[in-house]
Amino acid sequence: MSSLSGRTAVAGIGATEFSKQSGRSELRLAAEAVLAALDDAGLTPADVDGMVTYTQDTNQEIAVAREAGIGDLSFFSRVHYGGGAACGTVLHAAMAVATGVAETVVCYRAFNERSGRRFGQPDARIGGEPSSQGLEMSWHVPYGLMTPAAWVAMFARRYMHVYGVTSEDFGRVAVAMRRHAATNPAAWFHRRPITLREHQESKWIVEPLHLLDCCQESDGAVALVVTSAERARHLRRSPAVIKAAAQGSGAGQMMMTSYYRDDMTGLPEMGVVGRRLWEQARLGPADVQTAILYDHFTPFVLTQLEELGFCGRGEARDYVADGGIEIDGRLPVNPHGGQLGEAYIHGMNGIAEAVRQIRGTSVNQVAGVHNVLVTAGTGVPTSGLILSAD
Amino acid sequence: MRTLTEDQIAIGTVLPDLVIPLTPTMIISTALATMDFTAVHHDVEGARAQGSKDIFLNILTTMGLVERYVTDWAGPGALIRGINVRLGVPAYAGDTLTFTGTVVGHENGEFTVEVRGEVSLGDHATGTVRFSPPGE
Amino acid sequence: MTVTTDAALHERLMALAERRIAAGEVPGPAAADPVNLPMIRHWTDAMGDANPVYTDPEAAAASPHGGIVAPPAMIQVWTMPGVNRKAGQRPTPVDDVLAMLNDEGGYTGVVATNCEQTYHRYVRPGERLFPATRLTGLAGPKRTALGEGYFVTWNVTWYSGDEAVAEMLFRVLKFRPRKPEGPVGDGNAQDGAGREDTRDRTGENAQDGAGENGRDRTRGRAPYPLRPAINGDTAFFWEGVARGELRIQRCGSCGELRHPPGPMCPSCRSTDRGYVVASGEGEVFSYVVHHNPPVPGRRTPFVVAVVQLPEGVRIVGNVVDCAPSEVGIGMPLRVTYRQMDDELTLPLWAPREA
Repeated sequence: MSSLSGRTAVAGIGATEFSKQSGRSELRLAAEAVLAALDDAGLTPADVDGMVTYTQDTNQEIAVAREAGIGDLSFFSRVHYGGGAACGTVLHAAMAVATGVAETVVCYRAFNERSGRRFGQPDARIGGEPSSQGLEMSWHVPYGLMTPAAWVAMFARRYMHVYGVTSEDFGRVAVAMRRHAATNPAAWFHRRPITLREHQESKWIVEPLHLLDCCQESDGAVALVVTSAERARHLRRSPAVIKAAAQGSGAGQMMMTSYYRDDMTGLPEMGVVGRRLWEQARLGPADVQTAILYDHFTPFVLTQLEELGFCGRGEARDYVADGGIEIDGRLPVNPHGGQLGEAYIHGMNGIAEAVRQIRGTSVNQVAGVHNVLVTAGTGVPTSGLILSAD
Repeated sequence: MRTLTEDQIAIGTVLPDLVIPLTPTMIISTALATMDFTAVHHDVEGARAQGSKDIFLNILTTMGLVERYVTDWAGPGALIRGINVRLGVPAYAGDTLTFTGTVVGHENGEFTVEVRGEVSLGDHATGTVRFSPPGE
Repeated sequence: MTVTTDAALHERLMALAERRIAAGEVPGPAAADPVNLPMIRHWTDAMGDANPVYTDPEAAAASPHGGIVAPPAMIQVWTMPGVNRKAGQRPTPVDDVLAMLNDEGGYTGVVATNCEQTYHRYVRPGERLFPATRLTGLAGPKRTALGEGYFVTWNVTWYSGDEAVAEMLFRVLKFRPRKPEGPVGDGNAQDGAGREDTRDRTGENAQDGAGENGRDRTRGRAPYPLRPAINGDTAFFWEGVARGELRIQRCGSCGELRHPPGPMCPSCRSTDRGYVVASGEGEVFSYVVHHNPPVPGRRTPFVVAVVQLPEGVRIVGNVVDCAPSEVGIGMPLRVTYRQMDDELTLPLWAPREA
């Protein structure tokens, strides 16, 4: 069987502005981002024959296609598990292109997650239905354990206990992301860096997480155009070659509440993704110049550094100390400011930043970028990518 | 945003809760947006001078939030026909207003939702909202 | 303030009300501005109402309305008097009835009790509305939880041209505030209820739960909003909880214990299931203290823990009967059962002496 590695590329990226109130429908945001991505690639809606989004997206592929004036589709697909879908959309698109099922696939995510339905707010309905997910939630929701911050905080507390990690260690992640966002005009927190002290003094959301451990909530949309690497070489932009793409789920996996596995300090599903990525790309942690790590909450950035092999178990606190993941550190993480600093677009904005880093066009460009690792949602079944310069 | 159609709603349908933290900003911005400049809705000292413990939500806002509670669920195409509210305890700054609701009536294409908005002191507003899903 | 005898005052009040009711509808000043998008946007922004038919021309055009409409509940906003409310105000038929209650009767307190709005149609930007008010009722004196008072009811109709577009019934209680303590000095009816008075008394838009009969509101236990979904694979657990048993699924073939339960044993694939009743002891494996945002049915802060049972499985539940600051990993716990409403009991955890 031939490998997926190197056969496809991200040829275009597009986004709306990131805001707290877009003032527009989610469908309109989706259509705007899709058109922007096509324009970036130098393609037209008529070139598109495939579309992929998240199962959580409220905009049907056919609706976005209608609005954007996209005609026949030979491939449409959705990826499950919240923000864990982000890189999975690119994986699905790449597989479709590599197998000839489609030629040009658009991946998109659009929502009014701040002005519309906010994931951070409790929703009593999530435990209400006797579906497999409703039953899973029913072991937690009746006790008021029902917000993403609370689900993550439960892992974080155990991780702190086992490895002696402190809230300040988490705070260093937030400080790094806000430093990066401060020089990114597209970021919501542009020109608004924070100090570790501000992190420590921010109010409790769910102990041990402070407000500044939690990403913001945002309105906006991001779209990506995936086509063959060969075709991408003849388009407007230099291609970001998809060197590796993978999804991952672990044994005993649950949606955000995998508290029943032996160990609660890791992210085994991210371990699955990492092993697949390194193997597929024939690369290792030392070969990437910058990483986009999913940062809806700070603690899992540390866990990811360990799961992906950038450092050993329990060593991430030292890895992020002294600006280790800042733009001038040993591994610049999320130069755009991540979801903590730029916007929470369910991880899709991170993939766009990875493409910019490959192109050399980021506002916070890291020098000499050849390979970028990108991850998707943490605590859920997830996905990842390695993008490379041609 | 989807709008519920007549066949997607039944008597007994329970609406998802809406939880509104009553920050001073919320109390004041809604009072001003409803053109209500009475001191008790924006001036803590003024409110205390009148015997209240803090500023509190004005009625025009209560009506607006009850309406929002139903349309958030029913969708933007739902046509609101009427809102009857019985006013209860004040909704003070710092409290949390939680709306719950159930569909209790259905007649001639019009639904009636029973709504309760509760704060820590008890019921702030109870009543009904009548609405019609969009027609054919 | 002159307090005349109650009987004489009552007669004069009723006579005034009768005249005002008979006078019917009295037009008020037209809205200062026509219905307009900026005020709608300001309102929806403050309310957190994201309904696009109010502010998004494209979404509104595609909606049943065919264009931007104002939120129905905004109807009263259009004709609110503004900051300098005395300027340019015309008297309404309600004013002097309220004034007589206030100035002559000592009914200085006011709380709104009912607001009922009917919307005949949605209004659109550009329409200039004007209100017309009629007094429809005066009832009293009645004893209420707040003190003796009169209920005053009026109706407002909003017109666009000649067309009535919305109506409102509004009712307030004008009452004589109870004296906080001590003997009754002025012969006013007093309510004996000694509950803490946290209500506003005189704010124009003040409100209170005082019903027309002044009865205390009583109700059954409110349903607890956070309910588990239950099916044939999990019912045994909840039935156990209802009986004060913490049941753990046990495979009928290989004997492996499992929580949360499921239909098939992940070890031997058997669907033959039973359960054991756990000892009820456990210890904190991890925990959180929830502060924000508010959770329906819960008072913050509250503690949720992953509890390690000596039987070898883990279960999630609240730690209760101690301050959140006293909870730590390894803390010994014992299960306790709490009835959350008439139907649901939850297994929770309390500190245990090690």
